[in-house]
Order: sequence, then structure tokens, then C-alpha cells
Amino acid sequence: MALRGTGTSAAPGWRCWLPRVWALALALILLGPALGAGYVLSFDMVWVPDLALRSDFLGLASGLPRAVPSDAVVAVLDELVPGMVLQKVVLLGCLVAGGIGAARLAPESSLVGQLVAVSVYEWNPFVAERLLIGHWPVLVGYAVLPWVVVGARRWRTEASMPTVLWMLVPLGSLSANSGVATAAALLAFALARHRTRANVTVIALVIAANAPWLVSGLLHASAATTDPAGAGAFALNRDGALPGPVAALGLGGIWNTEVVLPSRDGVLAWLSLVFVLVLAGLGARAWLRRTGRRDVAAFVACWVIGYALAVVTWVAPDLTTWLVGHVPGAGLFRDGARALALCAPLLVTLVAQGAAETWERLPHGVVARTSLGAALVVLPITLMPDAALGLSGRLQPATFPGAYDQARVVVSDQQRRDGESAGDLLVLPLSSYRQPQWNHDHKVLDPMGRFLTPDYVASDRLVVAGEELAGEDPRVIEVSNALAAVTPEARSRGLADLGIGVVVVEHDTPGEAPGLAGKVLLDTTQVSVTRIDDPRVRTVPGGWIGGMTLAWLLYAAAVLVGASSLARSLFCRRRHAGATAKSV
Amino acid sequence: MGSILSTFGALAIGGIVASATIVGIVTSQTSPSGDSPANVNQPISQMIEYGSTN
Repeated sequence: MALRGTGTSAAPGWRCWLPRVWALALALILLGPALGAGYVLSFDMVWVPDLALRSDFLGLASGLPRAVPSDAVVAVLDELVPGMVLQKVVLLGCLVAGGIGAARLAPESSLVGQLVAVSVYEWNPFVAERLLIGHWPVLVGYAVLPWVVVGARRWRTEASMPTVLWMLVPLGSLSANSGVATAAALLAFALARHRTRANVTVIALVIAANAPWLVSGLLHASAATTDPAGAGAFALNRDGALPGPVAALGLGGIWNTEVVLPSRDGVLAWLSLVFVLVLAGLGARAWLRRTGRRDVAAFVACWVIGYALAVVTWVAPDLTTWLVGHVPGAGLFRDGARALALCAPLLVTLVAQGAAETWERLPHGVVARTSLGAALVVLPITLMPDAALGLSGRLQPATFPGAYDQARVVVSDQQRRDGESAGDLLVLPLSSYRQPQWNHDHKVLDPMGRFLTPDYVASDRLVVAGEELAGEDPRVIEVSNALAAVTPEARSRGLADLGIGVVVVEHDTPGEAPGLAGKVLLDTTQVSVTRIDDPRVRTVPGGWIGGMTLAWLLYAAAVLVGASSLARSLFCRRRHAGATAKSV
Repeated sequence: MGSILSTFGALAIGGIVASATIVGIVTSQTSPSGDSPANVNQPISQMIEYGSTN
């Protein structure tokens, strides 16, 4: 692999491995029971045994591309690895990789600095809250960021491009938000004057990595404005005891108070903030001394963009409300605290430098220095102890009920038999979130649509703090209108006209499921499946298919270039190592 | 003398941090569910709330 930033290669073996082992240990402690058998289903985190690839996942749905390209990538990967295992690999992998990447931003000579970097990057409110709300593509992007920073700096300062960036940037762009953050970091660190060819390559990589959601978003531009009320609902919020803009300094401030850990409600939140800010302050001077002006500018630019995007939702709610309601795509930034990922590289770099400086000033003596160094490394955990063991049990794996498997069998059979004319799936009741007993009463975005195989229509309306926020998918409104018809026959006819061929009703969910005319394929206490006769075949404009094909080709090309370059460089390195061993 | 004191001081700080970490983790794991970030006993309306801002 071509990535070496501050590099730890000159350090003895155990010093090189200690940050990696610490990153793994912290990730294991943080996830705890979440790594057990079953699927962690928490708010927006929905994983199923075998996610079927379908046209909607490729960006051809009637609504905005909220899970493009993440759903399609998972659907492809879980053909190789079972969904349950893949989820554990992704969750554990992004925490460990993020921690190890953070260590590379720390001073090369300071083991304590590197270990503190790992602790702060893995154990902070941003990670805990995004885990609980289920924004795993954001966490993947967050994990990729330090590696992108290191790789982009090297690209700028050396002649050759670190090949691994061709894989890292698409990986960091699994959602629109994380794609924007990854692109911002890459552009900030890699662009350079008088290097036109390299700059064009940087921009080409950004476009290729973000093409799927970008093109799909453009195709939906006419419906790309979101409910203005969402701007207020998803704005930066107080993080327990800390006001929003203050919490944002320590990477906290998510809008949803339900995912804020109890330890953030008291003095520990303040102590945690003071800890990172004091260390960052102590490290600032030395960091400025050891870092080139161009890198300082890039780090600061990323921090300013991240902090400004977060805080503007708190400071100027009227402005963000107007933007979200009138500017297509502005809704992308309504969840202000998501942008705080961009603040993490500078924060962790300064904190690590501060820890290194503190360590240098500690009294002599192995025992004293080891004891105080260990205290510095462990303090982030001490100050947010309830993040341990699956966020104190909030991340618990669940097993899907047998009725889900039965529904999948009958729906898949129907789809196989009727092909395209089987129509799409409608999930009722028409509400977004579920809180099933089998998921330990934890809230989750309805997993039924992803569990089954066809393209599906499910509600995208949200209720936040008692206020209902309108969805963006016009098809949901049409379906809702069809369901308002007087008779079951009229309702079914209306749904068939909209291309709905199968309706699944979840009986353990509050909400209405109006009666329909059609053949009942499955009827259990939990789930029933009804076939609607003669659904209209939904057509997708040819231009959309062409646009998305091009977008996916670009995305796949970036990944393939990265994979082949990586394989070649590994092969060359192994051959070189072999030749060196022979000559010795 | 000074080095002995600083060693003991450092050990005391390390010990306090280690103890506080263990106590914090154990306490947070054993706290009642009502103290959890989201109380699952909340009344369920027609549409389940995505979240709360209060």
C-alpha cells in the first residue's frame, strides 16, 4: 500500500503495532454485544440477511437518492459475504480503520500522542451518536478521512498518486454527505498550484466517486427540495449539557436528543470538552511549527467548512429553512452536525500534538510517565463511559421473525413467476419507523422493504418532536391518495395503476392498513401479503437509465483502478522483498 | 524525595482515572432502562417518532 503519512515505519515493531491494537481494543469495547449473532437495527441502520439489488438502489427510484450508492454496494458485497457478517465487518472495520488513520496524523515520535489520537477519534460523541442513529455510511466516510488526508498530502508533495486513494474516495462516498466531506478533504489537501494534470485527476476522482448519488440527484432535481420544517428539526442541537455550538467544538450536537448518551447530560460532558480543548491548545504552537503552511491551510479549511455548516443551522435557522425549501439539494446539509466529521482531522491532530507535548513535560521516571501517559490515553473513555459495550446495550443484535422469511419466499416466487409484470411492493402501514418487540423495542426504519426483493414504496414522512415532516417521494403521495378510495376494489385498482403488484401489511405496527381486493398469498399474525391484479409496468425514462449507467461505470472504474493498482503494488512489494531476501 | 512524590502522585492520578473508568462503565451498564437515552415505554402514537429535539 502506498500510504505512509507521518509514518511509523521507523519505529520498533511493538510501537508500530500498539496504536493498531489499541484501535481494535477500543472498537471491540465500544461495539461489545453488537458484534454478537443477529442484525443491529437502530434508527436508520437497516441490514438484512441478503439485500437484493434492484433498480431503485441504482438511483432510478421515484424519490431522492437517500441510500445511493450504499444500498447497491451492500447488495453486491453481500453476495460474497452474508449480510450479518458484512455488517459486523463494516462497523468494526470503520472504527478500527478510523483509529489507525488518526494515529497517522499524530507526531511520529510520540507513542502517547498516537494512542491519544486513536482514543479521541474513536471515542467521541460524533461516533457514538452516529452509531446509534445508524448513519453507518457517515462513519465509513469518517474512518476514511484521516487516510484521505495522509494520501492527499503525499499526492501533493510527491510526484505519484497513492493508488489506494482510488479505492478510499469511493468508499468514503457511500452517501451524499460523506461524499461531500471526503471530496472536501481530498480537494483541500491534494490541489496544488502549477500541477494542472494532477489537479484534473483529483477532480476526476471526486466526480467518479460521487457520480451515482450526484447524477441520481440531478435526475430528481425537480423534486429535490425538502420540507422547510426539516431545517429546524435537524439543526445542530444541544448535546446534553452543552449548547450546540460549544458541543460542536468536541464533535457533539446531533439534532436527536434520543441518541445522546446520558453521560453527556452532566459535568462529564464539560470535562470531556475541556480535555480535548486544553490538549488542542497545548499542541497548537508545536503543530504550527512542525506543519507546512499549505497543510495548515488545508486542515483549517476543512475545520472551518465543517464547523460553519454545522453551526449555521443553529445560528441562522431562517436562512437554512429558506435554503432547504427553495434550493434543490440544500436539504443535504440540513443535518448540521453531520458536517462535523470535517472538523475531526484538525481536532485529533492538535490533541495528539498536545498529548505529545504534555508527555514531554512529565516528570522523569518510567512509572510516573507510564501512569500519566496511560491516564491521558484512557481519559476520553473515562469521560464518556456509557459508550462502552454497545452504547450501554443500545446496540443489540436482533433476529428477524420467521414471518419475514415466509413473506420473502412468497414475494420472490411471485416476482419469479410474473417477471416485470409482478409490479412493485407497497409496505403498510404507511409510516416510516417501526419499534418492534423483536428488536428489543428499539426504533428502526422499516426493514421490510429491504428484506424483500422487489422495488418498494414505503412512507418517507417523518415525525420529529411531534411535528410531521413531509416526504419527498411523489409516489408515496399518489399511493396515499389511492388508499383513500372508498372500496377495496377501487383502492387496489388505484394501486395497480401506480405499478403496485404486492402489498405487505405489518400487523404489529401502529397505523392504518386499509382493506384491499386481491389474492392473499400469506396471512400470519405478524405479516400478510396480498397480490394486486394487473399492475401497470413502471417505466423509467431512457435518459435516466443512460445517465445512471454512466455514473455507475465511473464509480466502478475508480474502484477497479484502485484495486488493480493496489494488487500490482502489493505484488511488486512482495517480489522486491523476495529479491532482497535472496540477495541477503 | 521530589521524584518519589511525583511518582506517587502520578500513580495516584493513573489509579483514579483507571478506577473512575471501570466504575463509570460498570455503573452505566447497570443503570435502569428508564435512564437510557430513549425510554422505550413511551406511548406509541399512530406514527413512531424518528426522534426528539427537546
